[in-house]
Amino acid sequence: MIEISIASGKGGVGKSLLASHLALLLSGKRRLVAVDADAEAPNMNIVLGIKDWDRVIEHHEGRRAFILDNKCTGCGECLNACQFGAIRVVDGRYVVDRWLCEGCYTCSLVCPVKAVRFERDVLAGWIRIKEKTRWGFPLVSAEIVPGRPNSGKLVTEARNTARELFREAGLMILDSAAGIGCQVIASLAGSHAAILVAEPTRASISDLKRIIKLTQHFRIPSMLVINKYDLNTQLYRELKRIAHENKLYYLGEIPYDEEVPRSYVSMKPLIEYNPDSRAAIAIRRIAERLDNILSRFDEWRLEYLPEAYKPFEPIVIRPDKTLG
Amino acid sequence: MINIAVTGGKGGTGKSLVATSLAILLSKNIDGLVLADTDLEGPNDHVILGIEELENQESITLFLPLIDTTKCTRCGVCVKICDTGALFMAGRAYPIVFPRLCSGCKACYYACPYGAIREAGHVLGYTYVTPVCFGNGCFKLVTGMLLEGEEHTPPGVYRTLQRALELKPELLIVDTGAGTGNAVSMAFRDSDLVIVVTEPTPLGAHDLDSILEVTDAMNKHVWLIINRHGIGDVTILETVLHRHRVEKIFRIPYDKAVAEAYAYSKPLIIHYPKSPASKALIKISDELMGWIKH
Repeated sequence: MIEISIASGKGGVGKSLLASHLALLLSGKRRLVAVDADAEAPNMNIVLGIKDWDRVIEHHEGRRAFILDNKCTGCGECLNACQFGAIRVVDGRYVVDRWLCEGCYTCSLVCPVKAVRFERDVLAGWIRIKEKTRWGFPLVSAEIVPGRPNSGKLVTEARNTARELFREAGLMILDSAAGIGCQVIASLAGSHAAILVAEPTRASISDLKRIIKLTQHFRIPSMLVINKYDLNTQLYRELKRIAHENKLYYLGEIPYDEEVPRSYVSMKPLIEYNPDSRAAIAIRRIAERLDNILSRFDEWRLEYLPEAYKPFEPIVIRPDKTLG
Repeated sequence: MINIAVTGGKGGTGKSLVATSLAILLSKNIDGLVLADTDLEGPNDHVILGIEELENQESITLFLPLIDTTKCTRCGVCVKICDTGALFMAGRAYPIVFPRLCSGCKACYYACPYGAIREAGHVLGYTYVTPVCFGNGCFKLVTGMLLEGEEHTPPGVYRTLQRALELKPELLIVDTGAGTGNAVSMAFRDSDLVIVVTEPTPLGAHDLDSILEVTDAMNKHVWLIINRHGIGDVTILETVLHRHRVEKIFRIPYDKAVAEAYAYSKPLIIHYPKSPASKALIKISDELMGWIKH
């Protein structure tokens, strides 16, 4: 199975729009599965107008600490040891903040009177499955409980579910989250190619440069789509130059089109809401180009594999140099 | 100190536009304003403000275990307690540390029965403090920046907020990242007021619903800004708003000047102060000033 992530760094530049339409348009020719890998703001089902699911799997994992008031002596060891500021004093009581605790055990290990206990198998989120959308392809979507940690783990879980349930698919399209953190890494790591989406604004360019570093670290051959390309000519050219310098395959561009938000409101994909709109025509062209690449994927991949392998090297500070 | 957060759930709704505009406008009347950009994965406030170079860099260094092989008995306790897979033991060899996977929680350090784990550090990213002035209004911009390839955003958000608090601000404006996870909820955990920026589309509505679930549970004062009013359909937000507590609703009209200012890294309210979007932002800032005094 060829797995392709749609990523952008910056949010709101059109990842879900593009990912949904690529799935929809390619599904006529290829067996594919779509994965909504933005567990903090899953929107693919909304773009596609999917209102119900065939299956919803609750995902329980992790822990959350709490402090027994009758045991706590108020020594403050836990508060000092917690690396995430999750322990607070509220009205003279030591409490664990439910939003900040990742359940790492540090507080319970330093507590001299064993006052810290754990709630286990906390609900982390949901994996939702639509076996067959109107266009025939399945959609697997991840969503965390709002405010809670570990969205990246849930993305990995959703992707594994998709791999397992829809083995016969030859293509997986993952709609990644905004940013460059754990969710995006969970989606990019293991992908055979990435489609990066940018718009001609300074903020988007700044974030694009960051995501390119990631694709280079993971050695993922990448393509670029410029959305709302006609917003600014100068920055549009700069984006094309960045694509060239970083060996990104230029997959195409989508014009600014107010039919896009209108299609969202109609709960219909743009391509059905207004197939003749400028954005819909551009997206169809992009899908055709991607289809061509997929037909000669190995060849394309070799050509666009990031040249100089730039592995990620974490910066480590040792306490002294005598230890290995 | 008063702490106001700007968040939104969905990316690209205009969080940074609102946060930077409010910082510029309010700094005219408030000394000691700090704007904290806690979107560590894609910090853009400095880009919008037209700042070329961030200043006063400090590393965000997390705890990293270092195995002291003179004390380690290879019992495997550290590997078992590690939640992130950052410690690994092949058979009976000494544990290996994978810095990128380590969240710096320090559980292994406290769990080791032999005191065989020493404290090393791992650089997650950087924080910056950059002075900013527009006319007679000045403030400090604190920026958190995750290194590309690192993935533990929440501890970085925490450190960025701490760096902002060290400046002892009179007013702290926290700009959060996109999403609804703990990197975001952590950023507005201590805010007195949460300003949620959304757009009138079903995508905005869905993510708004998620973020308001968190603000409700935290019992926050919430103001809502509907950005790009005029595109999409505002009635879509109504069902969501019925379910949650929102104290005030503002609208920023869809305005081409925003895109233009955005493309060129010019703060909208400085370069297009008469544009409809600027007028809406000035109104929000005035109301906020009243709320702060109150």
